[in-house]
Amino acid sequence: MGNGAWSDNTYRAASTFRRARGIDDFTYTSTLFSLPQAKWAASPALDPFGVGMRESRDSAEHPNSTPIAVLFDVTGSMGAVPRIMQAKLGQLHGLLQREGYVQDPQIMFGGIGDADTDRVPLQIGQFESDNRMDEQLRTIFLEGNGGGQKSESYELATYFIARHTVTDAWEKRGRKGYLFIVGDEMNKPVLTAAKLRQVLGEPARGQVDVAALYQEVQRRWDTYFILPNQSSYFTDRQVREHWRALLGERLLLLDDPAAVCELIALTIGLNEGTVDLTGGLDDLRRIGSGHGKAVRKALAGVGTGRRMIAPFDPDGDRRR
Amino acid sequence: MTAHRNQVPSDRHIIVVGLGFGDEGKGATVDSLCAAGGAAAVIRFNGGAQAAHNVVADGVHHTFAQFGSGTLAGVPTYLSDRMLVEPIALAAEADELERKGVRNALSLVTVHPDALLTTPIHVAANRTREDLRGTGRHGSCGLGIGETTWYDLAWQVRARPGDVVQNLTSPSIADEPALRVRDCRDPAVLQRKLDALQQFYAPLLLRGGHGAPSIDAMASLYREFAAAVRIAGDDYLTSLAQGGRLIFEGAQGVLLDEWRGFHPYTTWSTTTPANARALLTRVGQPAGYVLGVLRSYQTRHGAGPLPSEFSAAVGLLPERHNGTGAYQGGWRVGHLDPILLRYAIEACEGIDGLAITHLDRRGSGRFVMGYQYRGHRVSKLPLGAAQDLRHQSRLTGVLCDSTTVLQDLPQQADQFAAQIGDLLGAPVVLVSDGPDRKNRT
Repeated sequence: MGNGAWSDNTYRAASTFRRARGIDDFTYTSTLFSLPQAKWAASPALDPFGVGMRESRDSAEHPNSTPIAVLFDVTGSMGAVPRIMQAKLGQLHGLLQREGYVQDPQIMFGGIGDADTDRVPLQIGQFESDNRMDEQLRTIFLEGNGGGQKSESYELATYFIARHTVTDAWEKRGRKGYLFIVGDEMNKPVLTAAKLRQVLGEPARGQVDVAALYQEVQRRWDTYFILPNQSSYFTDRQVREHWRALLGERLLLLDDPAAVCELIALTIGLNEGTVDLTGGLDDLRRIGSGHGKAVRKALAGVGTGRRMIAPFDPDGDRRR
Repeated sequence: MTAHRNQVPSDRHIIVVGLGFGDEGKGATVDSLCAAGGAAAVIRFNGGAQAAHNVVADGVHHTFAQFGSGTLAGVPTYLSDRMLVEPIALAAEADELERKGVRNALSLVTVHPDALLTTPIHVAANRTREDLRGTGRHGSCGLGIGETTWYDLAWQVRARPGDVVQNLTSPSIADEPALRVRDCRDPAVLQRKLDALQQFYAPLLLRGGHGAPSIDAMASLYREFAAAVRIAGDDYLTSLAQGGRLIFEGAQGVLLDEWRGFHPYTTWSTTTPANARALLTRVGQPAGYVLGVLRSYQTRHGAGPLPSEFSAAVGLLPERHNGTGAYQGGWRVGHLDPILLRYAIEACEGIDGLAITHLDRRGSGRFVMGYQYRGHRVSKLPLGAAQDLRHQSRLTGVLCDSTTVLQDLPQQADQFAAQIGDLLGAPVVLVSDGPDRKNRT
């Protein structure tokens, strides 16, 4: 038996185990897996190709919208994180809204793959305030592939957030949004014009410097990288150093991947200054979450309270 | 059937072992014990995914490999620490069972954290070694079972390149402990052990055409396995025993036992009831009732001695579920051989009852009275000292060099079964005269 058949069996087995854990909630993924690879594509609702702007807007119901983008690495074992997220979405929303951690949260989900090897390297949803976010989450295609060079196309997703989002929070109130990238590898060394053309349909020329891109995105977005203990890269020094150089203390090391929702909620609460760590951990205990310890550890190095409010400058995000 | 026959006790743990070279009907026996009710779990205590235990229940047929043969009767499976677990095959078997109507099959399985893991790397190594042996093959199933056990032994002695451990040559330095089910829960350990295993076998695998999936793919799969399947140790076994009786399902036959079998045509596994007895003692349970299973004739898969071989019978006794495996070799049958069977019972340190299967096809209707070996009459194979492979090789020599003296068995099924009981000195408590559960009484 050659590697091909083995790899097929291995892949099929992984899918059986996923199904046993309820991956069938992700019907879009299950449907695509039954088709030949050539037909795999992002759902039109999540396809970033040719998208001008994703908008987070105030409404009568949600007059003070706070945009929150949560982008998952969906390669390899990281595909478990969206499933954890899906199971706890209600809890996240409850903490943010009912506990008043943040005003009018609007959450956008997205999936990150490897633009060198994956059929679907980037998926970007819409900012949603209600249970449409659950539907969006379940529509993310968990391709589960990835290349294995210890890098995924996080920078492509970051580029999208930096250049293809517009928010009332920033334009009307000069307030940043939140960007959480959940993954276990490094950025690609450069973002090439070819990738921008291929994935986003942009008539791009020249490549984008990754460090400069993270500087740019942080002007409008409080940006965090969550590294869950879901793969061997959790302890990889190179991966950690890579993200520390880009985001400093906003690299969050999470011992237990099952705590990702709680971590996002508390990170926002602390940054907003609406809750302190002790209070947040009490909240977790009260809602029956057993993940306080992992969350406390992940947040140990992060400064608490008082978010930065940027000077109001509606054109600030246009600086190139 | 006769009203006087002894029964399997309903209030004891049962240890089911095969008294031949495998294929005795252990699976069907376990299924019928489970269908009778009162069973809390089926426990696997030896071997691994190479088992092929056929069960036909209400028209549904399944060949059980890692799932216990009580699955169709709704009885959960516990894979103990003496079992070798192969997650890829486990998932495939779960899929197959679900297609046959078993719902949430994986939820029926619990695995001991200390069980050794068989990986595609072990399988590739096993097949490469068998290929290199050419015509001197050992009759391996080619599923990496022996290789899994062997690597653990090689690590225990920290084998160096070229060292011979239990007849197999070490391709590299064995300096990383064997992969176990518990490691699937720890990504860093999992990665390290898979890397080490691949490096360890690289020089051997270079000599053949067998490969394995990428380390990333395997690591990811094993993490999914650990997340989807319940992993629990001795406490869980204790709690199972509180809910009913335990049925221990032996894999392979006693005559293939690593120490009591006919060297070198053996398996890398303890096929006697020893492991099951030890497990019961370990969790503070009373001794089990040992049920020895045999067919009404002898069978063997692949190479190795079968003194009563009767090749004309292969055509007369069509096998529904046994064929010729690429690595295992052909299917063979022979006259019922009480000398082998009594030896098996002695190797078990005694049994409590017999289950006789295939009474509807009673082979040649004859049994072996004795062997003619170099002018001597042999009617007993002596049990050697513990772990004396030289003794086991001598037995192999005797068996290969013997002709058999045969005698007729009674025509009538009842008397046939009764005479086997007399020949083997144990009560016949179960018989079957067909493949289905309803054929078992």
